[in-house]
Amino acid sequence: MKLREHPIVAVFTSPVGKKVLTGLTGLGLVGFVIVHMLGNLSYMSGDPNAYNLYAETLQNLGPLLYLTEIGLVGFFVLHIVIGVNIYRRKRRARTIGYSTYKSAGRPSRQSLSSRTMIITGLVLLVFLVIHLKSFKFGPGIADGYVVEIEGRQIRDLKTLMTHKFQQPLYAFGYPVVLILLGFHLRHGVWSALQSLGVMTPRLTAIIYPIGMFVAILVTAGFIVVPLYIYFSQF
Amino acid sequence: MDFALPTRLNAKVPAGRLHDKWDTYKDSVHLVSPANKRKHTILVVGTGLAGGSAAATLAGLGYNVKSFCIQDSARRAHSIAAQGGINAAKNYPNDGDTIWRLFYDTIKGGDYRSREANVYRLAQVSNNIIDQAVAQGVPFAREYGGLLDNRSFGGAQVSRTFYARGQTGQQLLLGAYQALSHQIAMGRVEMLPRREMLDLVVIGGKARGIITRELTTGRIERHLGDAVLLCTGGYGNVYYLSTNAKNSNVTAAWRCYRRGAFFANPCYTQIHPTCIPVSGQYQSKLTLMSESLRNDGRVWVPRNPQDTRPPDEIPEADRDYYLERRYPSFGNLVPRDVASRAAKKECDDGRGVGNTKLSVYLDFADAIERMGEQTVKERYGNLFEMYERITGDNPYEVPMRIYPAVHYTMGGLWVDYELQSTIPGLFVLGEANFSDHGANRLGASALMQGLADGYFIIPYTLGTYLADNQIDPAITTDNEAFETTEQEALQRIRRLLSIQGDKTVTEYHRHLGQIMWDYVGMARNRPGLQKACADIAALREEFWERVLVPGENGTYNKNLEFASRVADFLELGELMARDAQRREESCGGHFREEYKTAEGEALRRDKQFAEVAAWEYTGDHGQPRLHREVLEFEYVQPTTRSYR
Amino acid sequence: MTIHLRIWRQAGPEAPGGLVDYIVPDANEHMSFLELLDVLNEQLIKKGEDPIEFDNDCREGICGSCGIMVGGTAHGPQRRTAVCQLHMRSFKDGDTIIVEPWRAAAFPLVKDLVVDRSAFDRIIAAGGYISATTGGAPDANALPVAKEKADEAMDYATCIGCGACVAACPNASASLFTAAKIAHLALLPQGVLEAQGRVINMVDQMAAEGFGDCSNHAECEAVCPKGISIASIAFMRREYMKAIRSSS
Ligand SMILES: Cc1cc2nc3c(=O)[nH]c(=O)nc-3n(C[C@H](O)[C@H](O)[C@H](O)COP(=O)(O)OP(=O)(O)OC[C@H]3O[C@@H](n4cnc5c(N)ncnc54)[C@H](O)[C@@H]3O)c2cc1C
Ligand code: HEM
Ligand code: HEM
Ligand code: SF4
Ligand code: F3S
Ligand code: FES
Repeated sequence: MKLREHPIVAVFTSPVGKKVLTGLTGLGLVGFVIVHMLGNLSYMSGDPNAYNLYAETLQNLGPLLYLTEIGLVGFFVLHIVIGVNIYRRKRRARTIGYSTYKSAGRPSRQSLSSRTMIITGLVLLVFLVIHLKSFKFGPGIADGYVVEIEGRQIRDLKTLMTHKFQQPLYAFGYPVVLILLGFHLRHGVWSALQSLGVMTPRLTAIIYPIGMFVAILVTAGFIVVPLYIYFSQF
Repeated sequence: MDFALPTRLNAKVPAGRLHDKWDTYKDSVHLVSPANKRKHTILVVGTGLAGGSAAATLAGLGYNVKSFCIQDSARRAHSIAAQGGINAAKNYPNDGDTIWRLFYDTIKGGDYRSREANVYRLAQVSNNIIDQAVAQGVPFAREYGGLLDNRSFGGAQVSRTFYARGQTGQQLLLGAYQALSHQIAMGRVEMLPRREMLDLVVIGGKARGIITRELTTGRIERHLGDAVLLCTGGYGNVYYLSTNAKNSNVTAAWRCYRRGAFFANPCYTQIHPTCIPVSGQYQSKLTLMSESLRNDGRVWVPRNPQDTRPPDEIPEADRDYYLERRYPSFGNLVPRDVASRAAKKECDDGRGVGNTKLSVYLDFADAIERMGEQTVKERYGNLFEMYERITGDNPYEVPMRIYPAVHYTMGGLWVDYELQSTIPGLFVLGEANFSDHGANRLGASALMQGLADGYFIIPYTLGTYLADNQIDPAITTDNEAFETTEQEALQRIRRLLSIQGDKTVTEYHRHLGQIMWDYVGMARNRPGLQKACADIAALREEFWERVLVPGENGTYNKNLEFASRVADFLELGELMARDAQRREESCGGHFREEYKTAEGEALRRDKQFAEVAAWEYTGDHGQPRLHREVLEFEYVQPTTRSYR
Repeated sequence: MTIHLRIWRQAGPEAPGGLVDYIVPDANEHMSFLELLDVLNEQLIKKGEDPIEFDNDCREGICGSCGIMVGGTAHGPQRRTAVCQLHMRSFKDGDTIIVEPWRAAAFPLVKDLVVDRSAFDRIIAAGGYISATTGGAPDANALPVAKEKADEAMDYATCIGCGACVAACPNASASLFTAAKIAHLALLPQGVLEAQGRVINMVDQMAAEGFGDCSNHAECEAVCPKGISIASIAFMRREYMKAIRSSS
């Protein structure tokens, strides 16, 4: 059996292996965005320095941070590559479509979000590039985004964010993307668990609604910050 | 009608005690060495329980197997539709079952018209079938202890039927199909689906090949083999409406008959009492409702033929529970043939119900009273659903309407103890042969027979043939017998397409079915059978002048397939009527109105007719020649079945 | 009742195809959908036109031969019902129904509504069996099987191989069909010995046949005439990970 030679290859190429990986990476990314979202919320905490301090502690993690970032990049790349591959194979699997097509309804979990995973996903990809450019690799201490806290000069991400989200493009562009993220998660959350084989009919009935809940939570949690910044400037 | 003086057939039943015959046989036969098995190519036509199990087993033994079926996949053979279960003498319930009892019940159920030695062997191997199926992963119903569950079935006082919900045939067939798939993967079986066998190639008196048509391209193919196994099922579709699948046909068997294989007891047809009635002209197929319904449902019709009230408004006094009235001791549980004839009688007397007046009520009102709707649901829920899906009526509220339907054909190609036909090298398995069920088949015994033939009998008897016969290795598909047979097959197709008449194949099939149902159905009589012979001959002639077959040979063309099958049915029907006419007695599924007891029950005439009638083809214009196989009963005493 | 039909006609695999309109004026609510097509075909033949080809055999919802898209849904609007058991009372007088064949690259079209599903047979041949050569089997009761397990195995074993799951799946994935067989066999003690090779080979074959991967749309379960649950797909993934772990 060809698998016996290199099982790892099989995992990456077989339909089931690929799903297990999208599931794993997907869940990992969900974990990341939730943490990220909570971190962002500290922008709005009473203490004006809270956000920058949070960012700094992240920075000071040093090697640990790099490890997580490398892991994160790995997850994204894997997730994207497989996601796109699954999509391409799907296109090849049905070359002639139907002139009419109707979902049979429950127990079907087919939905707008399940059908648009690739679109919402790719939008997220584009977003990510811009997003990293404007923040992570955006203007820093050298460009004057610097605050002094307890005598330390640190990057003033808070002001950077403030400046960005005072521009309508950012303030309203982000929410759009974040809603798409919500769609991605609406199907993604339960789907990942089904991909990992943990779902049973009874669990599905419970987890599927929870997926919706998580999606809304993450989206809302993210959205408040840009909108808060934008509207508190007037 | 005068019959050429019958000659006697030899079934080659081994000598010795009934109980030892099969072992004696196995001990004495010659074997084919493993090295030689590979050199033998076996053509297995059909992938039902019989064909599927045979092909898988023979390939497992090392033979080189070619397997054919009409459907797009071997898994779709008609066996898939079997519902109720499969019998075996395991005696797991410890209710006193034995091989002897299974043998005895089968012989008696067949109304003493089957061969003792075959039936005993069937009972002997029945237990191995269950073991084999379980080993393959067939998910039979189980008890809470994890052991196999049994249910009781018509015609037996013991509980010996193994089942997998209402899908026993499906699960057993998938078991055989998966075993077959395994052999295909190992390269030992070449699977050829969407192939129809159009004819048998006989060379030097031996069956050496078949001609097939690839159904999606119309390509005609030649296949050479050392032996041919015909596992092509029953011919119930000669009645047009039956519980058989649409593709079930007699063509393969009939072509072999025309090549010299004898056709035995064609008139033995089983009519199943509990089917969903015909709803209109367009009806294409009848659906069986499991017999188990008669355990709790009560069959009745209104006393007064003019009574048009809806069933719930008809008071007890105006109802006639005719089975309970006529058969006090068995009531609604009389055997299939008896129940079917009774229903027919009521409808003939104009007391049938429904808009067609061709059905009787099967009423669960009392059962629901007695044990509550919940219990009824548990027992029959899935059947009630199926009924509602098809009829739109809810059996919990209105009584079901049922009517008998053609279900199984006991007749088939004549085979000896080795399942070999009168053409050396042509073996016939499953419903396609005439063997083990005599004049009436008991429920849950056809699956048993098909698998017994394929898994446990043919591996031995085929080996005997190959070991004892010199099969000319020089013969190829270029042999002129292949050439001429292929030409004949092609000619027939061209002819069917060239007629371009004005009546469709279905119209002819429906018409033939009506004749068969009216005169060669549940109750038969001499004048009717004579009329049937004449009508069918006339219809056949008209068919060849006026049939309209659309399309061409080069593509998928169902109408062309059916045209050629209906043409064969039009010949078979006449032989059935002829056989029914000659058999001047009533037995099992064959009821001659001239031969009944004072109470109107079937009257067997053992002195004249304890025999198999095997017909030999003598050309399209000559009359078929009759051959008799006298049935000797050394171990059981034929008695009269009584259910009063 | 009068029924308007728009049916996919295609003379052969390479021939061009398209939807053609038909009217059946004498339809009847007690007809099955296939009987409606029969009636239409009789009309066509009399008019000298080619009848519409569609696969069917048992007409009892068990052989899996039939299978067409009726009004955009595999096997039509009625739940847990193969199209041969679908009756016209599910429709209204004057309805227009669009009828198309299964669409999947792995199910090449043969003619009109007929497709080639032999890919399913090859998936089974890749490992959908328990090796048990005839004879030699131990007594059927030698190995007890817990009733729950046997019943669950039966739930999955009822697959009729119709292909509706593939036809309805937005990805044209054969996951439900494949998983149903893997789950059926792996749930039984007789099947566990070969479980690892089975799941890997069947899954590889499924991919090789050109079916899509599963994105958990669960449409397949909704159209399955036997209502087979996608729990089988989760089961298949667990089996697969087991196999990978023990083989690496
Ligand atoms: C609705 C129904 C319920 C039943 N329930 C039970 C039951 O509960 N218990 C029981 O014991 N029996 C039952 N029976 C009877 C039993 O199912 C059949 O007798 C048995 O399955 C026949 O099996 P077979 O292998 O002989 O033929 P089949 O299963 O009919 O297989 C015939 C095969 O031959 C092929 N074939 C036919 N003609 C040709 C040709 N010309 N060329 C190439 N291939 C051809 C077909 O494609 C098919 O593969 C039932 C029958 C019906 C109709
Ligand atoms: C960045 C670019 C991204 C792309 C291109 C992308 C693409 C995809 C695609 C195509 C799928 C469907 C896989 C399938 O059909 O089976 C998918 C699934 C999923 N995605 Fe993404 N995604 C991206 C980002 C994200 C992010 C940021 C998250 C989490 C916050 C995420 C979470 C998930 C989850 C949970 C699933 C379900 C996994 C499964 O079905 O097994 N994705 N992604
Ligand atoms: C309102 C929404 C968001 C805001 C305000 C925001 C803000 C930020 C900021 C300020 C950083 C820089 C952190 C640093 O350099 O230390 C950052 C990094 C990042 N953001 Fe966001 N983000 C948002 C949404 C998202 C979303 C939806 C995603 C993913 C789908 C995302 C993915 C990332 C990633 C991957 C990084 C890099 C993290 C690291 O390298 O540590 N962000 N974000
Ligand atoms: S899983 Fe259901 S839909 Fe798919 S082939 Fe089997 S029965 Fe048909
Ligand atoms: S619909 Fe298709 S995506 Fe998966 S769950 Fe069913 S196979
Ligand atoms: S025709 Fe057999 S399942 Fe529909």
